[in-house]
Amino acid sequence: MRDDRLVLAFVGMHPDRRAGLVGTYGSAGAVVAAIRRGRVELPAEARAAASVDADARKAQLAEAGITTLALGDPDYPAHLGRLPGAPDVLFVKGVVPVVPGVAIVGTRRATAYGRSLARRMGGAVSEFWPVVSGLARGIDGEAHQGTLAAGGRGVAVLGCGIDRWYPAEHRPLGVRLIETGGAVISEYPPGVRPMGWRFPPRNRIISGLSAVVVVVEAAVPGGAMITARHALDHGLQVFAVPGDIDRATSVGCNELIRDGAWPVLGVEDLVEAVGFTLGESQKRRSPIDDPVLAGLGEAGSTVDDLISRLGWSPADVLSHIGALELEGKVIRDQGRVVPR
Amino acid sequence: MYASVSSVALFGVDPQPVSVEVFVGGGARASFTIVGLPDTAVREARDRVAAAIRSSGFRFPGGRVTVNLAPADVPKAGSAYDLPIALGVLAAARLVKGTTTDVVALGELALDGAVRAVRGGLAAGLVAERTERRCVLDPHGAGEALLVDGADVRAVRSLSEAVAVVELDAPGVAAEACAEDSVPELDLADVRGHAEARRALEVAAAGHHHLLMWGPPGSGKTMLARSLAGVMQQLSSAESLEVAQIWAAAGRSRMNQASRPFRAPHHTATPAALVGGGSGMPVPGEVSLAHRGVLFLDELGEFPPHLLDTLRQPVEDGYVTIARKGVSVRFPASFQLVAATNPCPCGYASDSKIACRCSPGAVQKYRRRLSGPLVDRFDVRLAVPRPQRSQIMGPPSEPSAAVSARVAAAHTFQRSQGRVPGALGRRQLDQLVWSASALGLLDESIDRLHLSARGFDRVRRVARTIADLAASPVVEGDHVAEALSFRGSL
Repeated sequence: MRDDRLVLAFVGMHPDRRAGLVGTYGSAGAVVAAIRRGRVELPAEARAAASVDADARKAQLAEAGITTLALGDPDYPAHLGRLPGAPDVLFVKGVVPVVPGVAIVGTRRATAYGRSLARRMGGAVSEFWPVVSGLARGIDGEAHQGTLAAGGRGVAVLGCGIDRWYPAEHRPLGVRLIETGGAVISEYPPGVRPMGWRFPPRNRIISGLSAVVVVVEAAVPGGAMITARHALDHGLQVFAVPGDIDRATSVGCNELIRDGAWPVLGVEDLVEAVGFTLGESQKRRSPIDDPVLAGLGEAGSTVDDLISRLGWSPADVLSHIGALELEGKVIRDQGRVVPR
Repeated sequence: MYASVSSVALFGVDPQPVSVEVFVGGGARASFTIVGLPDTAVREARDRVAAAIRSSGFRFPGGRVTVNLAPADVPKAGSAYDLPIALGVLAAARLVKGTTTDVVALGELALDGAVRAVRGGLAAGLVAERTERRCVLDPHGAGEALLVDGADVRAVRSLSEAVAVVELDAPGVAAEACAEDSVPELDLADVRGHAEARRALEVAAAGHHHLLMWGPPGSGKTMLARSLAGVMQQLSSAESLEVAQIWAAAGRSRMNQASRPFRAPHHTATPAALVGGGSGMPVPGEVSLAHRGVLFLDELGEFPPHLLDTLRQPVEDGYVTIARKGVSVRFPASFQLVAATNPCPCGYASDSKIACRCSPGAVQKYRRRLSGPLVDRFDVRLAVPRPQRSQIMGPPSEPSAAVSARVAAAHTFQRSQGRVPGALGRRQLDQLVWSASALGLLDESIDRLHLSARGFDRVRRVARTIADLAASPVVEGDHVAEALSFRGSL
């Protein structure tokens, strides 16, 4: 039974089509048999995948260090399993957290503002809860980076096989997520190439692994909006970062806020609000007494702004920033000084 | 019968004295020969000189006329020797009274005897002043020669007027004033906001650090670069003359001015235009025109790599060498390099309000072009954000003169400490005196900020300059901390 599901998962079909076929033929085993008899129209590659038996697949997975979680397994994430259309089999590298996490998602074409905010949120949130995102460029990648920098746990859900790192430059990021107690997962079998149609379904997994979804910057249409809609369907709390109404990267967030998402007013505010939603106890941070740190604000500030706000000499502000950077309290990001 | 006239060859920047020797007489058949490595234009001088002499009312001597341009191994080009040859012929044939040996002459002759302007007026002035001779030139060249203090310059419009100088020691006509050939400077008072970048300019000027800025279009990078020349100390008169000489070699005039040159070659410039060369006599390029001033490379990411590679010699050595058939010329090219670039092809990768439209591949490709050995030379690097409304509307900023005064004080301090402003090598850096807190920060920075050996040197160099601005013989922790904030990376 479980073996048939594993073989079927390796065919790599769109999840909706797989669910439809299982409904028609009655079981995963029957679908596999139908594919082998040539009854299901599929690319040659996918049909060939169905002819490999479960034992060979298990050996292949063991060799690649990949584990699987099948729907109904005791360690399958319970909150994900409760959803209609939950993935039948998940391919996993690393350890999927048992507790629901916080999804931080957004557009790949983010502004420097959005990126630095995503990074800070990834860090702040991961002090309490696992951070779930999609390893994409832009907001996703920054949220993962923030998580790693803060020493938190993170889960990346891919839209391709977990051995086909996409985007390739985020491979080190994914590897570190695995090394630091998190996981990289996908419902697509190893070897599956990234294709446009594979990505929207993975967004339901991001939402399904989370108790809260935070949208940092999102264009319309976009993957982040799909994740947010899934989250609303799943009855999760959605947070969105408000932005200028004429900025393409804020249109999605503002739309979500209009439709009932909670606006994020700051990183601390977010952590507090998520804590309220999830009912976790709060670790309070020490109050900020450094004037430069206090002047930075949530998403950081340019040096020029700091100089005019503090009224100090440029040399004093710059040397203060240099010292803070050395202490690891701020980072320099494209002309901005951003608190960590 | 023999006569000689002095003239000057323009080969490289230093003027080379040339002696025009003429011998008239012997042989029944009339002939006119020029020897001494002359190029075609010089050989054509025969016809122009003969016509000009006759048009000016003199007789062209019969018999053999032999002209030798000495020394033979100095390349001579162009039509500038017409005037000395004509004067020499007339003197050798005893058609004019007086001696021509104390004359430095330079000029092309028209067939009617008029003197036309040629390059090299400044060089002629220098030779005349050094050898205490009279300098006979067209009015335009005379304007250039007058830049040389103590030169005895006689402007002439025709061969007859030149003869009058030789025979009667005539004062000549009025010289033309030199036309200005450079961009007016921008004052820092006109640059609003940009407090961080202004400080970076001050540090760069005080330590002769090359400066790299990046930021979205319209953030003011070009404006800042243009104001750097005004922040640097003014040129001394010796430096000014040196600069004028280079400019003259390139056929351009530059007044005897104390302001620093500012050159901004376009990224489509040819290697010859950038570092010098060209066909025939090598001409100094932009790097030499920027000598003792600022060379500004706008849109650094657009400069093709082979063009940037040609900048390595001048940046490292302070001069360029151009080799030509057996000889090589060295042009001074010691400039302060300022480069500006967008962070990506569309320019908005670093902007906080506008999203970047470039594909990640395109951004990577663009940034790869911005790496490499040349970029390693930029000690001071910073992102320049678009100024906010409040800063644009703010009060006028400090003028260049105030910043320049602090830079001058820092230079004086450096000299009092036995250092010259400019790049400190690793050995010199190791000998600097650091406070305990500075050493602590440096130590920590290697581990925590993953500084490379070169990056570490850059921080130390900039920290030393910041200490110089504070007139502190010891580099303190604050100076190191500030230097750390000027090591931004794209």
